[in-house]
Amino acid sequence: MSSNSSEVSALIRREYEQGFVTDIPTESLPPGLDEQVVRAISAKKSEPDWLLEWRLEAFRYWSQQREPQWAAVHHAPIDYQAISYYSAPKSRPGPKSLDEVDPKLLETYEKLGIPLAEQKMLAGVAVDAVFDSVSVATTFKEKLAEAGVIFSSISEAVREHPELVRQHLGSVVSYRDNFFASLNAAVFSDGTFVYIPKGVRCPMELSTYFRINSANTGQFERTLIVADEASYVSYLEGCTAPMRDENQLHAAVVELVALEDARIKYSTVQNWYPGDEQGRGGIYNFVTKRGECRGARSHISWTQVETGSAITWKYPSCILRGDDSVGEFYSVAVTRGRQQADTGTKMIHMGRNTRSTIVSKGISAGQGSNAYRGLVRMTPKAENARNHTQCDSLLIGDRCAAHTFPYIEVRNPTAKVEHEATTSKIGDDQLFYCRSRGLSEENAVSMIVNGFCKEVFKELPMEFAAEAQKLLSVSLEGAVG
Amino acid sequence: MNAVMDPVEHYRALVDAATPLLPGAHLAWLVEQRERGLEHFLANGFPTRKQEAWRYTGLERVLEEAWLPQAEAVVNLAADDLSRLWLAPKAGARLVFVNGRWMPALSTPVDAVPAGVQLGGLREALEEEPDQLSAWLGGAAHIEASAFTALNSALLDDGAWLQIAADRRLPAPIEILYLSLGQDRAAIHPRNLLVLEEGAQATVIEHYASLDEAPSFTNAVTEVMVGDGARLEHTRLQDESPSARHMSSVFVRQAGDSAYHATHVSLGGVWSRSEYHNRLQCERANCEIDGLYVSGERRLADVHVAIEHAVPACSSRQRFKGIVLGSGRAVFDGLIRVQPDAQKTDAHLSNDNLLLSRDAEVDTKPQLEIYADDVKCSHGTTVGQLDPAQLFYLRSRGIGLGEARRMLCLGFATEVLDGCSVEGFADRVGERLRQHLEASPLIRVNEE
Repeated sequence: MSSNSSEVSALIRREYEQGFVTDIPTESLPPGLDEQVVRAISAKKSEPDWLLEWRLEAFRYWSQQREPQWAAVHHAPIDYQAISYYSAPKSRPGPKSLDEVDPKLLETYEKLGIPLAEQKMLAGVAVDAVFDSVSVATTFKEKLAEAGVIFSSISEAVREHPELVRQHLGSVVSYRDNFFASLNAAVFSDGTFVYIPKGVRCPMELSTYFRINSANTGQFERTLIVADEASYVSYLEGCTAPMRDENQLHAAVVELVALEDARIKYSTVQNWYPGDEQGRGGIYNFVTKRGECRGARSHISWTQVETGSAITWKYPSCILRGDDSVGEFYSVAVTRGRQQADTGTKMIHMGRNTRSTIVSKGISAGQGSNAYRGLVRMTPKAENARNHTQCDSLLIGDRCAAHTFPYIEVRNPTAKVEHEATTSKIGDDQLFYCRSRGLSEENAVSMIVNGFCKEVFKELPMEFAAEAQKLLSVSLEGAVG
Repeated sequence: MNAVMDPVEHYRALVDAATPLLPGAHLAWLVEQRERGLEHFLANGFPTRKQEAWRYTGLERVLEEAWLPQAEAVVNLAADDLSRLWLAPKAGARLVFVNGRWMPALSTPVDAVPAGVQLGGLREALEEEPDQLSAWLGGAAHIEASAFTALNSALLDDGAWLQIAADRRLPAPIEILYLSLGQDRAAIHPRNLLVLEEGAQATVIEHYASLDEAPSFTNAVTEVMVGDGARLEHTRLQDESPSARHMSSVFVRQAGDSAYHATHVSLGGVWSRSEYHNRLQCERANCEIDGLYVSGERRLADVHVAIEHAVPACSSRQRFKGIVLGSGRAVFDGLIRVQPDAQKTDAHLSNDNLLLSRDAEVDTKPQLEIYADDVKCSHGTTVGQLDPAQLFYLRSRGIGLGEARRMLCLGFATEVLDGCSVEGFADRVGERLRQHLEASPLIRVNEE
C-alpha cells in the first residue's frame, strides 16, 4: 500500500478546517481561581444567593479533591490557576434579535456553516449559539414559547424560572460527583436550559453550537434539560474551536431529566481543535454527561460523534430508575495524530424491565489512542433488565492504540447482559472487493469506514448525519494501513 | 478467631520466623529473590479495593485469620488413602505435597519416573542440585504481580520441580496433588516450577484438595517455561474445603511455536482467586485457557487472566464459564494486551456466566488493550440464566425441576471440561460439580 502513503499522510496532516480566530474584544477575569473568582462570576450574572452558595460549596469541595488519574490518557499537568474562568464577548446586553448581534460574530458562524437566518427558514432548527460563555443569539423563541417550551441560556433561566432550575440543577450530577463536575459547578459561566412541559412534543430540534474563542479561557458549560411527563425533545450539540497553541480546558456538565413517559434524544458532534501533529495545543475535553430516566417508561438516547479535541474524557450515562425505562448510547470516536479519547457510558439499571443498548465504534489512526470504558450495573431490584453492548474498534496505522474496558456488575438473577467487542483493521479482502469493482482505494476505505459507523450515524438527526460523515471523511479518507 | 491487627506486620513476623528454616540459604541468587519479595511486600502491603485489579475482591477473609508458619505436617497417610483423590487413573508419575511439603513416601519413587523427566520436591533440589534451578527459578514469576507473589517469593521453600528434557514426549500425565491440613492453621506457600525444553510434550495436573474442613490458606505460585516447539497440557483443579482460602498465580513464558493449553477449574474455597499471567514472547506461540468457576453460599470465586502478546504472529484464546449459586459472588477479569509491533495477533476471549440466585452477584471485566493494527481481537461476555424453553423441554419429558436445572448447568460446564485431554477428568469434575449443585438450593428463577 506504499503507493498510497503520500496521500494518506497528506490527509492525516490535513489542517484543521475550522481553525481561525475571531478578533472581538472580550471581557475576561484575570487567570486564577479562588472564592473571589466564584463570587465575581456569580455577581456578573446577578445570580440569586442560593446559586452562589451552591457554587461556593462546590468550590470548597473541589479544593479538597485531586485530579483523577485512572483514564487511559496522558497530558501535562493542568495549572488551574493559569486559567481565566470567565470571558464574555463585549456586545450590547441582551440582544433581542439577530440584527442586534455583532456582525463579526455572525460572520464567524457563517464560516462555520451555521447560517442562522437560513436555518430559520430551511431546517426549522432553533439555534442557541454560545460564543465562548454567553448566549448571543436565540432564535425561534416565540414559536417555542407558544408550545410552552423553555429554551434559553441557563443564566436567563436562573432569572426567569428560578424554581425549575433550583429543583433540577445538580440533581443528576451532584457537585460532588467528580473532580471536573465540582470545578464546573463552581465556575460554570453559561449553558443551556431546556424545559418541555407535560405532553408536549417539542416542535423543532433544539441545537446549540459551542465555540471556544479566547485563548486561555476554559469553557465551563452547564446544560440542563428537563422533559416533563410524556414530552419529547431532540437536542443537538455541535462544536468547533479555532486553532490555538495552548491547551484549553473544557469541563462541561450536561444533566438530563426524563419524567414519566418522556423521551430525550441528545446528539453531539464534537470537532474541537485536536492539536497539531506533535500533539501541541488542542482542547482537553473533560465532560460529565448524565441522564436520569426518573419516571416509568422514560427514554434517554445519547448519540455522539467525537472527532476533535486533543483529549476526550467523557461517559454519557443513563440512570434507569423508572420501571420500563430505556437508555441508549451510540458513539463514534475517531482519534488520529496524537489524539486520545477515553470514552464510553454507564448504564445503571434500577427499575424493573429496564433496557439499555450500547453501540460504540472507535477508530484509531496515526498515533491516536482510543479507549472504550463502560459500566453496566444491574442492581438487585432491576427485574428482567436487559443490556446489549457492542464495541468495535478499527485500527489504521501501526502506531495507534485501541482499548476496551467494560465493567459488568450483575446482582439480579433475572437480568440478561451481553457484551461483545472486536478489534481489527480494515480487511484486505474487503478492500480488494471494492477495488475490483473499480473504486479507488480512498473511496473504498471511506465506504468501509462509513459502513463501520452506519449503526451510529443512523441514530443522528438528518441535519447532523451529513456533518458527521463529512467530518469522518476529512479525518480518515484514504488512510490505509 | 484471632483478629490480626496489622496484617503486614504479621506476615513480616511469619517471614522472619521461617527464613532460618528455608533451603538454599547459601545461594546468593536465591537469597536475593527472597529479599526482593519481602522488600516489595513490605513496601506495598496488601492490595485494597482501590487498586484496579482488586476492586471487586476484598481480602477480609484471608486477613481475618492469623495464619502460622508452614511446618512439617503431622499426618498419617498411606498411599491407599489418596486413591480416591487421583484424577488420572493412568498417570505416568505422581507427586504428593501435604501443607506445601513434598512427601516422597507417597509419591512415585525417583527410579520409577519416566526417562528424561526430572520430578521431585523443590526444597530437596535446592539443597542438592541448585545449579539446575538457578537458570529457571524466578524467571517467569514477577514479584510485582501482587503481594501474594511477593510473599511466596519471600518464603520460597518447597513445591513441585519438573523438567522435561528436549524432545521427550510423555504419553501419560504427571499428576501433582496438594493437600492442605486446616488444623495446622498454616499459611502454605507452594512454589512450582515446570520446565519443558525444546520440543518436549507433557500433560501436568495440579490438584489442590483439603484433608479436613478447618480453614486453610494456600498461596501457590506456578512458574511455567514452555520451550521452542514444546507443548504443555496444564490441568488445574482447585477443590478445597468450603472454608479454605486459596490464592494461586500461574506465570507462563512461551517460546516460539510452543503451545500451552490450560484447563482451569475452581470449585472449592470460601475465598479463591486464580491469576494467570501468560507472556507470548516468541513468534507463533499459541496459548489457550479454558476455565470453569463455581461459587456458592457466601463464597467468592475470582479469576484474573492476563495474556500479553509481546511479539507478532501469536494466537491466544480464553474461554471461561461461571456458575454462581446461593449468595455466592464471582469475579472475572480477562485482559488481552497486544504490544506495539505484535502484528498478526489473533486473540479471543469469552466469558459466560449463569447467575442462578437472587443473592448472587457476578462482576466481569473483559479487556482489550491493543497497540498494533494488524490484529484480530475480540471478546464476548454474557450474564444470564437457564433458558426457560430448555427447562420446559426437560420437564415435559418428566424430569423434575431441580434435576433439569442441574442437567443444564452440567451441560453448560461440559464445553470447558471436554476440552481437557486428561482421560476421566471431565467425568470426575462433573461428578464433583453435581455434588455442589445438589448441595445448593437452586432458587426458582425465571420459570414461568
